[in-house]
Amino acid sequence: MEQPVQTQMWKAQTLEELVQILHHLFAGDKVNVAEVQALMDSYDSNPLEWMQYAKFDQYRYTRNLVDQGNGKFNLMILCWGEGHGSSIHDHTDSHCFMKVLQGNLKETLFEWPNKKGIGEMMKKSERVLRENQCAYINDSIGLHRVENTSHTECAVSLHLYSPPFETCSTFDQRTGHKQKVRMTFYSQFGERTPCTLTSGLNKMGRKLNQYLFWFRFSYSQCLLV
Amino acid sequence: IRSSPNPRYRQRLPGPLPPGLARWFPALEVLDVSGTGLAALGSELLSLPRLHTLLAKNNRLGGPGSLPKGLAEAPLLGRSLRVLNLSGNRFAELPAALLGLRGLQSLSLGSNRLHSIPPEIQELRSLEFLYLGGNFITSIPPELASLPSLSYLVLCDNKIQSVPPQLAQLHSLRSLSLHNNLLTYLPREILNLVHLEELSLRGNPLVVRFVRDLTYNPPSLQELAGRTIKSRNVSYTPGDLPGNLLRYLHLASNCPNPKCGGVYFDSCVRQIKFVDFCGKYRLPLMHYLCSPECSSPCSSASQSSTSQSESDSEDEAIVAAHRMQKVLLG
Repeated sequence: MEQPVQTQMWKAQTLEELVQILHHLFAGDKVNVAEVQALMDSYDSNPLEWMQYAKFDQYRYTRNLVDQGNGKFNLMILCWGEGHGSSIHDHTDSHCFMKVLQGNLKETLFEWPNKKGIGEMMKKSERVLRENQCAYINDSIGLHRVENTSHTECAVSLHLYSPPFETCSTFDQRTGHKQKVRMTFYSQFGERTPCTLTSGLNKMGRKLNQYLFWFRFSYSQCLLV
Repeated sequence: IRSSPNPRYRQRLPGPLPPGLARWFPALEVLDVSGTGLAALGSELLSLPRLHTLLAKNNRLGGPGSLPKGLAEAPLLGRSLRVLNLSGNRFAELPAALLGLRGLQSLSLGSNRLHSIPPEIQELRSLEFLYLGGNFITSIPPELASLPSLSYLVLCDNKIQSVPPQLAQLHSLRSLSLHNNLLTYLPREILNLVHLEELSLRGNPLVVRFVRDLTYNPPSLQELAGRTIKSRNVSYTPGDLPGNLLRYLHLASNCPNPKCGGVYFDSCVRQIKFVDFCGKYRLPLMHYLCSPECSSPCSSASQSSTSQSESDSEDEAIVAAHRMQKVLLG
C-alpha cells in the first residue's frame, strides 16, 4: 500500500537547524517542494548566524557556499550591494528556493523566449521579496532576474538548489539570445575562494585566431542566482 | 562599508552630532549617523583627526549648510576622509563643499535629487568608487573621464540619454552601471574600456535594428572648402584669412575611420553598428563618419555605408571579442 505524501510543517530555529532539517528532507529521491518552502519560510533570519558567509564584493553580487547537502543540494548565501542585479537566467532543470535574509530583492519573471531567440523577451510578473520571504522557481515556471533595487541598502539572500548545478543559461532581454555560463563561488564555508580562469576556444575564438596573433578567451567569474 | 571595523573606533549616534564629539572620541575612524533624521552635519566633524569613513545615509541632508563649511580645507579631516556615503538624502546638486576632498576614494549620493554632475567632479582625484544611481541626472559631463583611478561608476536609474565618448578614457574602469536610463545607443569608443568586466544596460531603449540616419544634412560650402583645405594640405598663413575662418579651420575633427584621411567640421553621418561586448549581445554602437561614402574600418570596400549586413557586424564583433570580458549582469 502506498504511503500518502504528507507535508510536514517544520520550524527551523537557527540556520544550523535549517541545514539539518534540509539534509533530512533531501535524504530520499523525491523533493516535497511545499515542505521545503515552508521550512525555509519558518527560519527567522538572524544575521549573527550567517554573517560569516556574507562576503560582499564592491563590483557585483557574490555567491557564498554554505552547505553541499551530501550532493543532493547546494545551500548558499548571496550578497547584493546597492544596485546589484543578475541577468535573466534559467535553473538547469533544478529546483530553486530563494529566501531574503536582509533587505529586499525584486524578482522579475520572464517567459522562455521563442525558439529562434529573436525579439524582446516577455515579462510575466514582478514582485519585491521582503525579509524572510521565500520564493520558488524552476524551469517549467519560467526564467527570472533578481535585483537589489535599493541605492542605500544591501541585501542578503539564502538560496537552495536541488540538484546542484554549475552551469546555466543567461538570456539577453532585448533579443532572447541565450548564452551558456559557468557559475563560481566567491567563498565556500566561510572561506574566500578566488576563481581561477579556465581557457577555452569557442567558435568565435577560432575565427578570431585567424586575425590575431595571440589571444586568450576565458570565462571570468560568472555569478548568477 | 561592509566589513566590520574595530568597534572601538566606530560609533553609531542616535541624534545630532554632540559638540564634544572630537574631545570624547579623538581616535574615531568610522562614524555612522545614518537614519538619524539629521538635517545638517555640523562643524564638530572637522576636528575629528582620524575619521576616514562617514556614513550619513537616509537623513534629511540637502539644504544649504548641510555640510560644514571648510570641510575640504579642514587640516586633518580634509585629507583623512576616504569614504563618504550620503545616499538617501535630499541633495539637488553635488555639494560644492565636497569637491576639495582630494583624498576621497568612495562617494555615494544614490537616491538623492541630483539633476546633473558638475564638471568640477574631476577635482576628486583619488575617487575610485562613485555611486550616483537613483537620481534625475540627464547627462554625463566629459570631465568625469578625467578621474584617473575610477574603477566603479554607477549611474543606473537616472534619465541619461547619451554617454560621452570621452568616458572611454577611464582606463581603470571595471564596472559601469547604466541600467534603467534613456540610452538608445552607446558610443563606439566604449570598446576601448579594456578592463571593463561589468556592464549593466537593461531597461534602456537600445535600438535593436539598424537605424538609417535619414536626416543627414549635406555639408555647407564653407565646410566643403574647409575639408578640401585640410585634406589637401593647402597651406595658408594667418594673414591670408579672416580670424573667424582661421578659428574655423582649427576646429577640424578627424574622421573616426582610420582608413579615411578626411576631416569634418559640423556635418557628419551617424551610423549604428551592432557589436557583442562585455557579455552583451548586439549592442548598438554609434559611429560618426565624415560622409555617407566613408566606409567604417572593418567593412569591405564593396559595401555601401548604409547597408547593415550580418558579416559587417560580425567583423566588428571579432574586433571586439578579443576584449570581451564575461559579464553576466542584465
